[in-house]
Amino acid sequence: MTGFLIKRFLQAVFVVLVVTLFVSYAVRLSGDPAIMLAQGAGSVTEQDLQNIRTGLGLDRPFPVQYAEFVKGMLVGDFGRSFLGGTPVSRLIGDALPATLSLAGASLLLSLLISIPLGIQAAVHQGGPIDQAIRIGSLVGLSFPNFWLAIMLVLLLSIAFPVFPPSGWDGPISLVLPTLTMAIIFSATNIRLVRTAMLETLSAQYIMVARAKGLKNSVVLYQHALRNCAIPLITYIGLQFGKMIGGLVVVEKVFNWPGMGTLAFDAISARDYPVLQGSVTVLALLVVLANLLVDVAYGIVDPRIRNS
Amino acid sequence: MRTFQKTMISASLAIAALASPLAMTNARAAGTLTVALHQDPGNWDPIATFLVAWGAVGGQVFDGLIMRTPDMKLVPGLATKWEFLDKNSKIRFTLRPNVKFHNGEPFDAEAVKFTFDRLLGDEGKKGPQQSNYAAIDKVVVVNPLTVDMYLKSPDPVLLTKLAGYGAMIVPPKYIKEKGSEYFGMNPVGTGPFKFTEYKPKVSLSFARNPDYWGGAPKVDSLVYRFIAEPATQAAELQAGRVDVANQVPLAMLETLKKDPKLAVVSMDGPVALALRYNTSRGIMKDREVRKALIMAVDRDAIIKTILLGQAKPIASFQGELSFGYDPALKPLPFNPAQAKAMLAKAGVKPGTQVQLDFRGPDSNFREVSQAVAAYLQGVGIQVSLKPYETNVLLNDIIPNGKTGEMWQNQWGGWTFDYDNTAYSMYYTKQRWNPFDDDAKLNALLHTQRNSWDQAERQKTLREIGRYVADQALEMPLYSLNTVYGVNKRARNLALPADGRFRFVEATVE
Repeated sequence: MTGFLIKRFLQAVFVVLVVTLFVSYAVRLSGDPAIMLAQGAGSVTEQDLQNIRTGLGLDRPFPVQYAEFVKGMLVGDFGRSFLGGTPVSRLIGDALPATLSLAGASLLLSLLISIPLGIQAAVHQGGPIDQAIRIGSLVGLSFPNFWLAIMLVLLLSIAFPVFPPSGWDGPISLVLPTLTMAIIFSATNIRLVRTAMLETLSAQYIMVARAKGLKNSVVLYQHALRNCAIPLITYIGLQFGKMIGGLVVVEKVFNWPGMGTLAFDAISARDYPVLQGSVTVLALLVVLANLLVDVAYGIVDPRIRNS
Repeated sequence: MRTFQKTMISASLAIAALASPLAMTNARAAGTLTVALHQDPGNWDPIATFLVAWGAVGGQVFDGLIMRTPDMKLVPGLATKWEFLDKNSKIRFTLRPNVKFHNGEPFDAEAVKFTFDRLLGDEGKKGPQQSNYAAIDKVVVVNPLTVDMYLKSPDPVLLTKLAGYGAMIVPPKYIKEKGSEYFGMNPVGTGPFKFTEYKPKVSLSFARNPDYWGGAPKVDSLVYRFIAEPATQAAELQAGRVDVANQVPLAMLETLKKDPKLAVVSMDGPVALALRYNTSRGIMKDREVRKALIMAVDRDAIIKTILLGQAKPIASFQGELSFGYDPALKPLPFNPAQAKAMLAKAGVKPGTQVQLDFRGPDSNFREVSQAVAAYLQGVGIQVSLKPYETNVLLNDIIPNGKTGEMWQNQWGGWTFDYDNTAYSMYYTKQRWNPFDDDAKLNALLHTQRNSWDQAERQKTLREIGRYVADQALEMPLYSLNTVYGVNKRARNLALPADGRFRFVEATVE
């Protein structure tokens, strides 16, 4: 296990380095932050722009800038935002918990929705319950996340003002963004659980369990569910990257003070250090999630652990 | 199964129970004015940024020597009067007595000198502010309540510039002790509101300054919330959680107007839009063709249908509030038949292709470009629309002269003076002028810039406007209104066209 973890760790470092190199280079191709900072200024001369670039350290060659970034990154220093000079580590420190709580709550809620519904659909295969759940998940799958977010705001913040439409006013602010993300992910997860469950339910050991006269709930939730877990965990791990992408949009609509909003605003302002810092952290999260999936396999299925 | 269902039900109930009492916290403290702002400039030091979002906050914390009212009049600020001396080479300011910064530090001539030394020195170099004040040579203290400002060259817009942004007066002792970085996160000024808390990217809070020299503000506190999405700003407004929204989507205006609690406030704004021509290329070399294209497009219809009336047609690249605006100069009339004839006379073949470059993320302008393309097709010109990511267009395409035949140009500015726009747009080799090189235009621009005589300048600026219209260097489109969404419980907001709020008289029910 230790050798496996070391190998995985080195892989992770490599992935993160490649990502940061790519992001740092690409963002510099995309435009000049000096002009963004001077935006609205009456008469900006080329000299002013040059002064700003020098002040930000952008007059140095790219390899020097990148090397400095990596050096800082090793000690957790991502530099300072071009827009105002706040340390990037502070911005990330504020934003990361917001994103993790949203991602965590969404994941949890989507599992709470999709596991029982997926199982019910499998148990009643072909029947009206199965049909209803399958159509429901198809509908959920067809919603673009930003549209769903706006609809939830219209319904639950404006027509029936129960939840705040945006920002952070305590745990209650989590509800709408969590619901949005959870609905989107449940739609796929339900189908996944259903398929896996159908396969499992036809297995011999389930018939044996039933033949022993075990209660239906014990058969479903203790014998069958465990075997459905592997594909579900794999999928959630893979889904995590996609989830981060979805978070950017959902955070933006709900003005959620998380990593997505941070990265998105940094792109539009050409705030290189903030973008580099937040993308690095997001990449780390995705890598970490995949690592956790591998570890989770071992826990769920002893055969994998022992091999 | 049953246990699982039970767990699910209790979990849902728990969430609901947790949520309902919290829902009540939505109601906000009385006496607090909440403003949605589209951006967090990240730093509240007057020399650090030039963003409109900074301007929306700066006037609450800081004062300039001169101030500008919401209707753009220059009035005494921290200086009670000023006079031009020695053939306009010096301005003598008499300062307001008994004014204190929020930290108790006295405001005096030393503070004014410190402010300008800082702005014009190395510290100011780091930001984009310095060049706007390049006309100032130095500030000299005469006595504690008098300073002389020596000028290197005339700058007819200087007084306006002293009323804003970089020239806001800052506390010397505080900055020397705490450093600029700390100051940027914890601003101290002489303004009507005292800084209390700043959460980067989330919010910025102020408390009223009871000792404000201009009379204490009526509201107890002021909160800015940074909300970038216009639709989200509108939702927050509808939910009654913000009192002023500075960016609401045009499509939402009707909905907001119908809400009895809300109002939409709209006025002439600083932003003008035009389609500039690439006069170095193809059919655009011909002035008659450029004019014909202007006449082929029905701008009134575009304003009415796409912009829902929140704009005014323009004949030069400026709106009515701009100094140098010429009410006598009328836009060319919409006349497709004549346009067609002019194009035929110029030898332009039907089906000729032109390319229009525009800011892709701007969904309103995307529709405007499509409408323009349709009108031009009506006179036989095929337009290919080319959207660019805004920064690519601004950084790479326009300054390097890589545009198509037509390109979107949008210009704001808070000085409301055509000099600013015209100089950047038409003076040879300026950043926003990749194509034109006109000695006559350069001379006119130069003349007005080097004069203090406002009547003379007005005349020259109007001449520039007429000359550019005659040369048809661009297709002037419209000047946009400044539009705010407002909760009616907030009164006396004195909302300004340039977005620079000052809520001294505002009240909240």
